Amino acid sequence: MRTRWWLLISVLVALLCFPPQWYPKSLRLQFAQWFGVSSYRPLPESRPPAGETGEEPCPTDVLGWRDAQTIEGVEIRRSPTCVADNPHAIAAFVRGTNNVSHQTLMKSGLTPDAVVKGRDLDGDGDPDEIHIRLEVVELNGGSPELQQPVTQFAIAPGIKPGFWVFAPKHFGMDTENFQSLKARALLRLPSPVIRIEQGDQVRITLENGHYMPHTLHFHGVDHSFRDASGEGNDGVPFTSEVPVLPGQARTYDLNPRTAGTKFYHCHVQPHVHVMMGLQGLFVVEENRPNNWLQTLNIGAGHVRVPSQAVKEQFDREYDLHYMDIDSDLNNRIQRFNDPRLITESMHRRYDVTDATSDYFVLNGRSFPYTFRESLVIVRPDERIKLRVANGGSNGIALHTHGHTVTITHRDGIAVEPASRITRDVVWIATAQRLDLSLVTTNDGLNSYGSGVWLFHDHQSRGVTTDGIGPGGNISAIVYEDYLQDDGWPKTYGVNWQPYFTEAYYRRQTPVWESYAPGLFSEPRMDGWMIVRLLGFAIALGAVFSLVLVASRHPERW
Amino acid sequence: MLKSPITGNAFLAVILGCVAMAAGASQQPGPAQTAQHTAHQHNMTLDSGGVVMNSNTDVLPRDCKQFGPDYEFTVSAGTEFATDNPGTVYGFSQHEFLVEPCSRVTITLVNKDQVRHQWMIHGLPRYLYPGGMFHLEAAGGHSRTGTFIVPSDHQTYLVHCDVAQHMEKGMKGQLKVGRGSGDLWSIPGVSGNFLADAYVPEEIEWYVGLSAVAAFVLTTLLLLRKRFF
Repeated sequence: MRTRWWLLISVLVALLCFPPQWYPKSLRLQFAQWFGVSSYRPLPESRPPAGETGEEPCPTDVLGWRDAQTIEGVEIRRSPTCVADNPHAIAAFVRGTNNVSHQTLMKSGLTPDAVVKGRDLDGDGDPDEIHIRLEVVELNGGSPELQQPVTQFAIAPGIKPGFWVFAPKHFGMDTENFQSLKARALLRLPSPVIRIEQGDQVRITLENGHYMPHTLHFHGVDHSFRDASGEGNDGVPFTSEVPVLPGQARTYDLNPRTAGTKFYHCHVQPHVHVMMGLQGLFVVEENRPNNWLQTLNIGAGHVRVPSQAVKEQFDREYDLHYMDIDSDLNNRIQRFNDPRLITESMHRRYDVTDATSDYFVLNGRSFPYTFRESLVIVRPDERIKLRVANGGSNGIALHTHGHTVTITHRDGIAVEPASRITRDVVWIATAQRLDLSLVTTNDGLNSYGSGVWLFHDHQSRGVTTDGIGPGGNISAIVYEDYLQDDGWPKTYGVNWQPYFTEAYYRRQTPVWESYAPGLFSEPRMDGWMIVRLLGFAIALGAVFSLVLVASRHPERW
Repeated sequence: MLKSPITGNAFLAVILGCVAMAAGASQQPGPAQTAQHTAHQHNMTLDSGGVVMNSNTDVLPRDCKQFGPDYEFTVSAGTEFATDNPGTVYGFSQHEFLVEPCSRVTITLVNKDQVRHQWMIHGLPRYLYPGGMFHLEAAGGHSRTGTFIVPSDHQTYLVHCDVAQHMEKGMKGQLKVGRGSGDLWSIPGVSGNFLADAYVPEEIEWYVGLSAVAAFVLTTLLLLRKRFF
């Protein structure tokens, strides 16, 4: 057959397949005038819900870690949330890993030199020589064998960005056991809160078991630029010291004269390393007699053994560590295994000036996991101390539903009572810390009464997980009469199950499907339209091809 | 053809099976504590110099009729043993251990670094070694010694340091009993990586893509000229 006939057929097919949605409006109106309106065709039906049940929102506390208990003479408060820290580790942090029984040490998972407590220098009944050993641990790292990250820590269902964290020195496997890829409870985001007493002689040894150089920098914590032996003590590679190389260790000396909520982080390539998770709160408590402190608070959150000074003024204390994460940076450790390639990718290819944050975490987790472990549990007429740090690259506009909070300290420095301000949105810039006083008196100002009241960054991205809401750093102030025995709040809204599926945060679940499945489900695809569009594309390609051939070979026309 | 990571290697099949289980388990994680490694159930010594877990000097595995030969290995561990293997950061002085069936193996782990290192072997009979593991851990600058007795099967066992990323960055080895059951992946100096990095410029996609387009254009022009013009 001649080219011209093929060309004619192709043009006709292209025209027939051209979808009415793409016609100019005026043409459609003209057609309607000539032929009347289109006849009715039922629109695609809704897809049935996927029916994915997802994770259990509130896992059972098999080992009784939530309960109030006394271990090694340390009274550990009840942790009412679903998931609580290991009380044996808490007892070891309070007494010192050198001062507890072998059994407690075994249950804590810590080495005997993880937190060594020595002499009582001022004779007030508590140890003032504190030696802490921290390691650097990679979570959700790459592997030359597996297609998924190793030493896993999920911030939300299915979301495992790479992290580097400081962790107490521990023994044994870094995963839960040989059957599991999940990191053990001691190894998590954020790096632990360090708590020491004003005037303590503190030594902190960084044992760098990671594959990159790191340091410790004590931000706002009183320390000399060089230690007694003349070595750098500030953690900055180009002014203070050569960083701690892989396999090496280095000890920092501190003797803080002022109390307050401070910060610590790695200072090697800080625009990368701090955002990878090498940052934590550093609390210097006021000196009091018999002040046995919980030297480390794993994963921040509820302080189960508060200091004497806090107990004088407050009923409860919570450490709240906010961060935001650019997955484009954090996931680079999963792309390669050779440390030279990882280093190039993170420190030379990655450009933080082009960064956008995807994940927003409170104490290392995003909603809905925040509801397992980072709820602020209260009773009426209590005073609660919140130590809030923003370790993210963006500011946080922290809003409390149903409550106002009063800023008592900024960057660990007390605000004069006359100048204190009370508000329902507090702005916390990068690296800033605010001590907030939350009073649960139902007077229409401090509190509107009992309930489950959210608190979250009020900037829109902060309440999402990579743009999917609800997510991000949403947590809640929950009154105990709104808390079930298992630690899950009594809520009166929608079913939470979709939020505990990986599909929801992979954008695969219609956000309101569970409310009204038919109404808000996803419509089925229009298969014929897909065929029609592909037909149009093929016909159009044929037209161009035939025109080309005909122009080169007129004898074929 | 790509060599399957589980071909002829029952033990790696176990590992990959575990990985699959872990992947399944991540759908419904229990509390972090339920699966928490319960170290106190093992036969274990712990002090600030390190850990020896499940040492066994005298009980023969059920399938062994008599002791094979005794072996003693002194394994140094640290960054200095990574220098011979580019792209690793940590290493052992020896990454492969060959022993006869039913032999008694004594390992001394000498840690040359200032951070913790481990020499851990998996897949041993669970009735003798809880969790199927024998484990040495030495704090920085310390050494630890322990003994275990291997079964009679010709099998390859995974040896590694389980400190996060140490195995991935070079601290991986294998112990072959008798003929073994093949090599494991990514043993420095012995076997390659299953997921191999590509050492190419970051813009390689552009170069490959542009090369393909150029080849297409050139070929088309040549063919059109010769056949149709």
